[in-house]
Amino acid sequence: MIEALFEGLFLVLQWKPLAFMALGIVLGFWVGLLPGLGGATTLALMLPFIYAMQPVEAFAFLLGMHAVVATTGDITSILFGVPGEAASAATILDGHAMAKKGEAGRALGAALASSLLGAIVGAFALAIAIPIVRPLVLTFGSPELFMLAIVGIAFIASLSAPGPRGMLRGFLAGGFGLLCATVGQDPQAGIARYTFDTLYLWQGLDLVPVLVGIFAIPEIIDLAIRRGSIAGALPAGRISKGAFEGVKDTFRHFWLTIRCSLIGTFIGIMPGMGGAVAQWMAYGHATQSARSAEERKGFGAGDVRGVLGPGAANNSKEGGSLIPTIAFGVPGSTAMAILLGGFFLLGLVPGPDMLTKHLPVTFSMVWTIVIANVVTVLACFLFLNQLARVTTVRGTVLIPAILMLVFIGSYTSNNHYGDIVLTLIFGGVGYLMVIGGWPRAPFVLGLVLGKIAENYLYISVARYEAAWLTRPVVLILFALAVAVILYPLVQQRRKPAHA
Amino acid sequence: MRLIVLLLAALLPGIALGQYYAGKTVTIIVGYKTGGGYDATARVLARHLPKHIPGKPNVIVQNMPGANSIIAANHVYAVAKPDGLTIATFNRNLPIAQLTKVDGVKFDMTKFAWIGSAASECTILAIRSDLPYKTFEDLRKSKQQIVIGATGPGANTYDFPLLLKEFLGVNIKLVSGYQSSADIMLAIERKEVDGRAGSFTSIRPFIDRNLVRPLLRARATEPGVENLPIDEDLAPNARARSIMALRSAPEIVGRPYVMHPNTSAEHLKTMRGAFAAAIKDPELVAESKKAKMDLEYVGGEVAVKVMNEVLSQPKDIVEEFSRYVKFGE
Repeated sequence: MIEALFEGLFLVLQWKPLAFMALGIVLGFWVGLLPGLGGATTLALMLPFIYAMQPVEAFAFLLGMHAVVATTGDITSILFGVPGEAASAATILDGHAMAKKGEAGRALGAALASSLLGAIVGAFALAIAIPIVRPLVLTFGSPELFMLAIVGIAFIASLSAPGPRGMLRGFLAGGFGLLCATVGQDPQAGIARYTFDTLYLWQGLDLVPVLVGIFAIPEIIDLAIRRGSIAGALPAGRISKGAFEGVKDTFRHFWLTIRCSLIGTFIGIMPGMGGAVAQWMAYGHATQSARSAEERKGFGAGDVRGVLGPGAANNSKEGGSLIPTIAFGVPGSTAMAILLGGFFLLGLVPGPDMLTKHLPVTFSMVWTIVIANVVTVLACFLFLNQLARVTTVRGTVLIPAILMLVFIGSYTSNNHYGDIVLTLIFGGVGYLMVIGGWPRAPFVLGLVLGKIAENYLYISVARYEAAWLTRPVVLILFALAVAVILYPLVQQRRKPAHA
Repeated sequence: MRLIVLLLAALLPGIALGQYYAGKTVTIIVGYKTGGGYDATARVLARHLPKHIPGKPNVIVQNMPGANSIIAANHVYAVAKPDGLTIATFNRNLPIAQLTKVDGVKFDMTKFAWIGSAASECTILAIRSDLPYKTFEDLRKSKQQIVIGATGPGANTYDFPLLLKEFLGVNIKLVSGYQSSADIMLAIERKEVDGRAGSFTSIRPFIDRNLVRPLLRARATEPGVENLPIDEDLAPNARARSIMALRSAPEIVGRPYVMHPNTSAEHLKTMRGAFAAAIKDPELVAESKKAKMDLEYVGGEVAVKVMNEVLSQPKDIVEEFSRYVKFGE
């Protein structure tokens, strides 16, 4: 085990893999910042170049590129409130709120430092878990995956504002999210639901246009109305000094960052949960760390813990999501599906062998993710403070640029004008939610988990009838879901007595 | 003087159609997002086609996903120019969509300028190797229930086993709703389901590592599964046979490639030649062999014949067929 861990490291630490990794990182960085060129498309474009490479070099190249795209996605989330990809939307809630308070530098520092910590923790968690990872994944059948989705949906309770009114609004928003998740052709009878006779809606609501609309459009309207810069009238000097403060925050809330990293790794390992789920569950968990109702109100208004949680989970899940791909040949995302193509090109067969015979190669991939993250974060720190200064640029100058990010970002998900329409509609919904004081996070959680929950519930019932309800892991997860719902209520009851 | 000669040399061949493509860009529109088999095939072709098209144009891939690729097909049928520079590849089941009159279909599959197909896709039924059934006959005779995982109606993971259950009397419990065929594979591994149907290409790695065993195949074939029994040969009557045949017909044109219906005969001839040559290109063969995708050119004439076969079925067969098979994936 340990030998394989170090053998994997030495495989990567040779000049050729390192050189290819560096190339991958540069490409990934460029792609991550450019709107419209997704990480998956870039992987597909780069795949032909790996023919002549050795496996370790090829994965250093591809994974280096992939790991960086995940990290840089957080940058546009924080600075402009525009999610670079579906998996980096949760960072917006507090990250962009911090930018508006003039703490863009601190938020970026926190996001990057927690990403780095997340990647490292994720890698080590994975290294320790490798002997049990196959039984672990195989224990999670459809009933367990359904309950896992329910645990995720239960986080709606934490993501809603305190008090009965806040809870009610949270659950209604979550319900609306679940309803939106049913749009499209259903997988059991093939019936088109809520598609309004348009072909575009057949495949359901695409996550990226919806998220871009619901988060970015309200921010743009807000910026246009305020007529200032994103950071208001705060002095530029202060804004560009916070990056190191963000690093300190990461260590101030060290255990929270670690816990969120572990959540990310675990969700990453679970096939079929998807990248967006990990970040939102981590965000939900971060809000649970608020010790009083007063503190809870700070979330969504620029609490640094709301940046640390999703930041950590975002990168730790990457290591985890390698597992279903390499140990079972079952890719968890488009990027992983393309990576799987890479395996075949290199003559490697994904499967149990990757955890025994080829374990060093597997570890070399984990190390690649760690090293690529370290390099990216260090490189980012060189110009973080300069990046943060963007928030002092006048809105009238900035809005056209952000709008371009918004529309290109959403249009490239399907290359269809429907993407733009969807962004505008959900932009309107998002704006109404913001001015009406309705929380957006529960809506997203419902949208992200709705389809997963529906499919696995159907499969569980079709396969096991009622018997699935008595499976031990299902019961444990059910208890966990109840605990997640009750936790904020207990918290609220308990605290006034102390205060 | 030298300049004039050069100019002449540049202009003269330009009269020939060959140079029509020089300096131009040919776009292959894929009806799906990046990451699937249709996309991967198009990208391999895009790398090797330029060598075989006179004038060596650039060939690029553009993804136009949506509505199981009806959007892409509509686009090439009605919007793209018939200038031989836009090629589309889409869902092989689109003739089924046209046959069952799916809303939104604005094309006639028989009218496209058919370049042909880059591969046949063979659907097989595979079950866990640790089950006692060695052949399809064992399974059919046992009368024991077998659980088959599927994605949803319209996909071969669903329709193929459904017809086996309806017409061949196999005791199948069909559990659908898995997000992808890879997810079903995982369900097989954790013994949630006993097997699945799907394209041989996607199941092969799991046959290789002895997780599943292939039992039966559909009509279209590929090297490696020729000797499996064929579903329609076991059909109890002519009616069942024609319904099974109708389901499997599009698989002969497994990776369809078409151009706008009004494309000139010359452009079509050039492209058919280029595809035939590119798919035999040793470099492409080596590459696709490594990537475990078997490409084989199926001519445009064959494709047109298959389209006519599917779309000229008697009304009663179409009605019964639509009861079982819906268009999808």
